[in-house]
Amino acid sequence: MATYKLELKLNGEKLSAQVLAHENLLSVMRNKLGAKEVKNGCNKGDCGACAVLLDGKAVNACLTLALQANGKEVTTVKGIGTEDQPHPLQESFVRHGAIQCGFCTPGMIVSSKALLDTIPNPDRRQIREGISGNLCRCTGYNKIVEAIEDAALKRKS
Amino acid sequence: MEQRVFSTIGKVTRRKEGIARVTGKEVFSSDVTLPGMLFARVLRSPYPHAKVLSVDTEEAEKMGAICVTPDEVPQIRYNERQVSIPSKTYRDRTVLPEVVRHVGEGVVGVAARTEALAEEAVRRVKVEWERLPAVFDPFEAMKEGAPAVHEDVMLGDVRLPIKNNIACVREVSEGDIEEGFSIADFIVEEEFRTGRAYHTQLETKAVVCRPEPDGGITVWPTAQSIHNTRQLLGRIFDIPLSKVNVVRVPIGGAFGSSIQMNTAVAVCAALALKAKRPVKLCLTREEDMYDHCKYPSIIRLKYGIKKDGTITAGEMQTVVDIGAHNIQAYPLLGCMAGWFVSLYRMPHMHFHGTAVYTNKAPACAMQGYGNPQVSFAVESMMDILAEKVGMDPVDLRLKNYVGLGETFWGQGPTVRSIIRSCGVEEMLSKGKEKIGWDKRGKPEEKRGRYRRGIGVGRSFHTSGTGAPMPGEVIDYSTAMVKVNEDGSVDYLTALMCHGGGTLEAGAKIVAEVMGVPLDKVGISPSDTRSTGYDVCTHATRGVYCGGAAIKKAAESAKKILLEFASRLLEVNPDALQIRPDEELGQGVIFLEGAKDKAITVGEVAKTAQLKGWGTAIAVESHRQVNCPPCFVTNFIEVEVDTETGNVRPTRAVAAVDAGTVINPDLAAGQLEGGLCRGIGLALLEDTDYDRDTGELTCGASLVDYKTYTAVDMPFVDDLEAFFANTYEPSGPFGAKGVGEAANNCTAGTVANAVYNAIGIRFKEAPITPEKVLKALKENGAAKRRAERND
Ligand code: FES
Ligand code: FES
Repeated sequence: MATYKLELKLNGEKLSAQVLAHENLLSVMRNKLGAKEVKNGCNKGDCGACAVLLDGKAVNACLTLALQANGKEVTTVKGIGTEDQPHPLQESFVRHGAIQCGFCTPGMIVSSKALLDTIPNPDRRQIREGISGNLCRCTGYNKIVEAIEDAALKRKS
Repeated sequence: MEQRVFSTIGKVTRRKEGIARVTGKEVFSSDVTLPGMLFARVLRSPYPHAKVLSVDTEEAEKMGAICVTPDEVPQIRYNERQVSIPSKTYRDRTVLPEVVRHVGEGVVGVAARTEALAEEAVRRVKVEWERLPAVFDPFEAMKEGAPAVHEDVMLGDVRLPIKNNIACVREVSEGDIEEGFSIADFIVEEEFRTGRAYHTQLETKAVVCRPEPDGGITVWPTAQSIHNTRQLLGRIFDIPLSKVNVVRVPIGGAFGSSIQMNTAVAVCAALALKAKRPVKLCLTREEDMYDHCKYPSIIRLKYGIKKDGTITAGEMQTVVDIGAHNIQAYPLLGCMAGWFVSLYRMPHMHFHGTAVYTNKAPACAMQGYGNPQVSFAVESMMDILAEKVGMDPVDLRLKNYVGLGETFWGQGPTVRSIIRSCGVEEMLSKGKEKIGWDKRGKPEEKRGRYRRGIGVGRSFHTSGTGAPMPGEVIDYSTAMVKVNEDGSVDYLTALMCHGGGTLEAGAKIVAEVMGVPLDKVGISPSDTRSTGYDVCTHATRGVYCGGAAIKKAAESAKKILLEFASRLLEVNPDALQIRPDEELGQGVIFLEGAKDKAITVGEVAKTAQLKGWGTAIAVESHRQVNCPPCFVTNFIEVEVDTETGNVRPTRAVAAVDAGTVINPDLAAGQLEGGLCRGIGLALLEDTDYDRDTGELTCGASLVDYKTYTAVDMPFVDDLEAFFANTYEPSGPFGAKGVGEAANNCTAGTVANAVYNAIGIRFKEAPITPEKVLKALKENGAAKRRAERND
């Protein structure tokens, strides 16, 4: 099968891979670029575990063809912050008990980052809408919403 | 004396695993990557019931794929759930079957260099099937002449023929049921049904297996019990346990779905052993949805009650549709009897449970192990009984609940102990206040399109399955605690954390016992080679049972440490204490009242090392001899839209009696999460099967299965959780469990709230808008008829 060269920036680093035309970004991220922090919860666009930022916009990597990311910048949770310099959202998720098993967390943080980038001071309804594509089975969302709200406040001050 | 003032326990602290999880560093089974690793896919049955006549893997092998077929794997019959003693364990499956019994059952395992190649190879495998008649309804299945899902199974080592698809039956009686009904003023009988929900753990099941040069195997599975996985793999593949090493890997949600060794593990192990290379197998969401679900139940309840509200007798008959495999329905039935008998006092009781095979995905434990089903029925009945005798539902509960000093056997008839802590009254009275119970009004007074109602419901879960005498259920834990030369401490167990903070609680217990700051306690990575046996992190046993073993090991290590210190301080070790010193960042061993008799934990450990005295280290196995209930109480307000039939929970008060709360924020999180999953069971979640194809009608997709997103999830703004103020004398520092309790009574509470809103009793969960609309219509018609006849 014919493969194509994909070039992109992953969390600031220039990378390339040979990919198939129909291959989705999720599979390439996990299997060819070593970005295991992008989770596979359904591979169908139903759960949001695979959310990444594509040139700053949140997308489900499983619904994005890898080649659509060609020449673009992909940001995963690892690009949002690190243990030494956590993003206020990451800090807030830990502080608010917004993580239980943690499997939804990478996608949740990506979606909430995209939310705060467009609406810096969201109300609770907007927060819920902002993460409505991300399923979390453990928490019931309450603490996640609180964490996002608090991170937004902290960022403002 | 009981310790009630704590340095670490009960404090809100920064969760240790937190930072790894928010920065994408946590490695789940599906993330484990090994050099030279192959990827596996499984050819699965498109039919609900069929015989595999032949398998041809030639074309797949030509591509370089490794295949395992039913005739290549050990034919040993196993049960993936290993928490009961062998003589009570029903074994009905093999690694790859020659007869498939539900759509999605795996038949051929295939491994190749990439997942895409493995998929391609699966497409090239040819299977010749002989379709067999299938059965989907448990009552049809029990009829004479129905298709047999299994001809026979093994019970322990004995072959057991299966008749009428009845997998097992359980009957429990106490007192004289006829007598109990005869002294009642009223007898009330109703039938309740609950749905076949799917766990929806966000991580699908996954496993990596690496064959070792010595003939052994190392396994990174999605699992709640690494030791049971090890034992089972050793038995199936005939490998000495010393050569089977199962590694504890973080789990992306469990809710009971991985109490058993997942079937993918055995298939992956077979492939790895054949390929002589590491193999990874991750289930797709679709495969996962055909792999497991909750036990759906039909429950017939009959109660006798006196005019003053005293329950005189109770009878429960249940039929549980277990699907294609018996993943321990026998203990499930025992527990269902236990949940029933331990909620409300019944001098005379009778329980009869039947588990029935059908050609559907096999059911297994799902948060509560039959308890949400039983509590839905019992709590609905309590409201029906209260109305019958003209009592307030809360008062009826207060009059009849099983509480302090009474015998409790929630985990089935062989797990009996006495209740020593109980916050039932406190939760009912405080909860009533908080929700505004007395202002809830009567259904007939409510008007308009949107009608609100408030319901109450109680339940409990057990803290583990320990008991004074060994019974059918295995229950103990092992832990190791070791003091390092700088004053930090490592602790090691095979316990799992499913997200709720079990390992964090373990660290707090160690910190509390050893008198060191929490950030100086490390949670060691764990595998079966380095840990002693731990049955499984299930049955809400993590903190109560596992935590007790951790405490015991910490106390033993502390004893050694204090003995070392006593040599240095020249003080009798029994007179020494340890306290955490935040400034020094470690524990200080001291003699009360003597300033010069103090030394840090690190200095003692270091000196002991330099002088060759040894390490302060201890390993302990521990079985809890009690099984205390962690009680829960819910008050929920719902709003029923009488035009659409939609039920929207608007407010909730959720209370739990967990004894001493070790991680207050994380325990509250478990309570919230459990409540929300309970709402799902009450209003939304179920799976149905196409009677012709045997396929899930939701197409095995998460969106069509329907779970709550953040937008639909109720309560985000109006949920209050609180803890009862109790202390469990048998628990580590007074603690009991929380986990499963949180969702057990929610569905019943919601049903009671709906009744209070519109005066209609729903006996079938989930209470969907269609059901509500239909009932409203029938009710309206009935009312109009009654008015006409007046
Ligand atoms: S994995 Fe992409 S949405 Fe679920
Ligand atoms: S924390 Fe487990 S799915 Fe969200």
